Amino acid sequence: MNKTLEYDCCIVGSGAGAGPVAFELAKAGHKVLVLEKGKWYKEKDFRKDEQLYRHSIFRSKIADERHLLEEPDGDEWSSDTTSQFWGGNIVGGASNFMSGYFHRLKPEDFHLVSTFGKIKGANTVDWPISYDDLEPYYAKVENIVGVSGKVVKHPFLEPRSTDDYPFPPTAEHPIASWFDNTCNQMGLNPLPMARGILSQPFNGRKSCEYSGYCGSYGCASGAKASSRAALLDQAVATGNCEILTESKVYRLTSDNKGNVTSADYFDKGNQSIKVRAKIFVVACYSIESARLLLSSPGEKHKEGLGNNHNQVGKNLHCCAGGTGHGIFQFDQFSQEQVEQLKTRGPFFNRALQDWYFINDKKAFDKPVKGGTIDFVFDPPSPTADANDQKWQGDNLLWGTPLKQKIKSHFTQSKDFKFEVFCDWLTNDNCHVSLAPNEKDKWGSPVAKVKVGFHPHDLKVASYIVKKGKEVMKSLGAKTVTGNAFTSPTSNLIAGGLRFGNDPKTSALDSDCRVHGTDNCFVTDGSFMPNGGSVTPTFTIYANSFRVADKIINQLGK
Amino acid sequence: MLKASNTINSNGSLAKKGSTKAKFVGALSSGLNRRAFLRQSSAAILIAGIAACKPDIKMPTTAEPNQPTPKTGLTDRFSFDSHQQASIKAVQIQLFPEDGDGPSANDINGLDYLEWALTDLDNQEDGDGDFIQKGVGWLDSLSEQTKGSQFIKLSLEQQNEVLQKISQSSAGENWLSLLIYYLLEALLLDPIYGGNPDQIGWQWLQHQPGFPRPNDQTNYRVFQ
Repeated sequence: MNKTLEYDCCIVGSGAGAGPVAFELAKAGHKVLVLEKGKWYKEKDFRKDEQLYRHSIFRSKIADERHLLEEPDGDEWSSDTTSQFWGGNIVGGASNFMSGYFHRLKPEDFHLVSTFGKIKGANTVDWPISYDDLEPYYAKVENIVGVSGKVVKHPFLEPRSTDDYPFPPTAEHPIASWFDNTCNQMGLNPLPMARGILSQPFNGRKSCEYSGYCGSYGCASGAKASSRAALLDQAVATGNCEILTESKVYRLTSDNKGNVTSADYFDKGNQSIKVRAKIFVVACYSIESARLLLSSPGEKHKEGLGNNHNQVGKNLHCCAGGTGHGIFQFDQFSQEQVEQLKTRGPFFNRALQDWYFINDKKAFDKPVKGGTIDFVFDPPSPTADANDQKWQGDNLLWGTPLKQKIKSHFTQSKDFKFEVFCDWLTNDNCHVSLAPNEKDKWGSPVAKVKVGFHPHDLKVASYIVKKGKEVMKSLGAKTVTGNAFTSPTSNLIAGGLRFGNDPKTSALDSDCRVHGTDNCFVTDGSFMPNGGSVTPTFTIYANSFRVADKIINQLGK
Repeated sequence: MLKASNTINSNGSLAKKGSTKAKFVGALSSGLNRRAFLRQSSAAILIAGIAACKPDIKMPTTAEPNQPTPKTGLTDRFSFDSHQQASIKAVQIQLFPEDGDGPSANDINGLDYLEWALTDLDNQEDGDGDFIQKGVGWLDSLSEQTKGSQFIKLSLEQQNEVLQKISQSSAGENWLSLLIYYLLEALLLDPIYGGNPDQIGWQWLQHQPGFPRPNDQTNYRVFQ
């Protein structure tokens, strides 16, 4: 027999889009239920163990659920199933496994069309809100989830309502000062990077322990500002927020006015359960949120919830850009410098935004939006690193030559990395729909993700990757590689349910309410018309706090 | 961090030479997926996360993977027979020799680790144990054909010649590559998993492990 549960607010998903709503509503005294399809792991579970990540312990298995991915393949489209888009399917979602590079968007990101004009073949639109509308919420995120950093005056600094970050910067690797000197000599503006990582204990969370195993590894100290550690634990502590795990929402039902009446989920035993609530919030990652709406037709939503204008799933965007590496050979440096390079634990924490806007007539006939370069370390993965060494050109290497190559890689050089973040222009070939013939283990159609890119992205990314390589070379790297890419990033996907004032060109209104409903909101990265040229998590958090205020206002009526 | 996927489509542009299947799941994996693409060409390394480039192209004759067995503990072992054990051990010492610099395959418990790793559910689904067993038979056939005797009865020099020979084929190269993959896990994974005794691999490579490290109660097999 089916059970029914009742709450003020039911939230689907528990990641960065969900945490702020749960936190704010629970603190305001509203009864909140969070439905998470994964399990609830805690700090003690996040051991620094490559095996945890290699065996998808914290992510959905491809046998259970997957995506159907279509990518450009010459003039054709490839079509294959993949599990690569599962970023973290546990309480706190992918925010457990973020690096926490917390850049704000810039005012211009909210008005790209007005600022730079239209680009043929791109669906870019101005946002229905401005930077000023979001600024107070960036400040709120810094204070509540905990952002560590240092504001320095530079030509690209966003307007701020506060002078500085609430926490001092996390500890820095010696390479950071090399970087500052080099960039200053090159006439660039080296920026300390703010991090969603605590440099000091806060709210029962410990500060960073600098194990050097950050990024893709879960955080064992609670310093990383995951939705789980920074928000949900506190929401639950109010007594007003309940989190149900292994609860997979497969449908939202709606009434004859178009409003959502229930979220239906399968529990661990595959029993279908209905949750009734005044407000529903969907925040289960861009692709999956669009999929849930498409899977939820109703009397007023024949083609899926909010899809009367065929906007649900449209204008998905990945993160365009590229990566590069600089290999520093120890035999080219003094003993003291080598010791500095070998330091493990503190962060690189530097970024360049000198090309966030590009005004270079030699490369582009008019000013264009560019991007950010973050200088980082990859999370250590020694067995993968060693395994990479076994190929010499086309041949497999073994025996003493293999041992020597591995030894040299580990003990005679250090690899620093840069990552370039650019806008992935929204276009008619990048969207989510329901796969016709592929179902998940609960019997629901999986999402089909088509990821066409705009050639402009590659041009911008290549331009900035080249700059990153120049900096690496000047820093003293002997070998410098770098590539712009057009493949989708498997994380950092947003859009698909962009917000706007016109239901014909957007899926959500400016409050992130699903068009055609009064009581259903989407608070993950789906709302973003464009991603900004930075990682979106900080902005997702900020927007979710903004929408939480709208919801509290609505519940109070 | 950026987890860029690498485009390997049906044209297999980045796939290994001679491969018969370009495995998309692996090809597009993020840095965390163990079924990562076969090899990263130096021109196209976009990710260097925790992927470990495990070769997943098997001999054409590979049978269906073994049925996954129930939950395994840290003490389980895959069952090779004694001849297979001796042969694999002999191959492992060729792949990771005692050469005076760094631990050998024996020093890192290469065979013990392999027998344990092959009880892993994912590795079983990949059919690795079956593939490795079949490879031993194949190795012996080639040894007898070209050198007149089983692999383990050959001199070290002759063994190396046989290995060079099998590496010329795509399947043979994948077999060796898979054995190397497990040896490097034995070299560098946490000692809790049976390799890297007394952190001998970490010490040789001056690798500083993260903390907290996995332990008996909290390791990936417990969660699996």
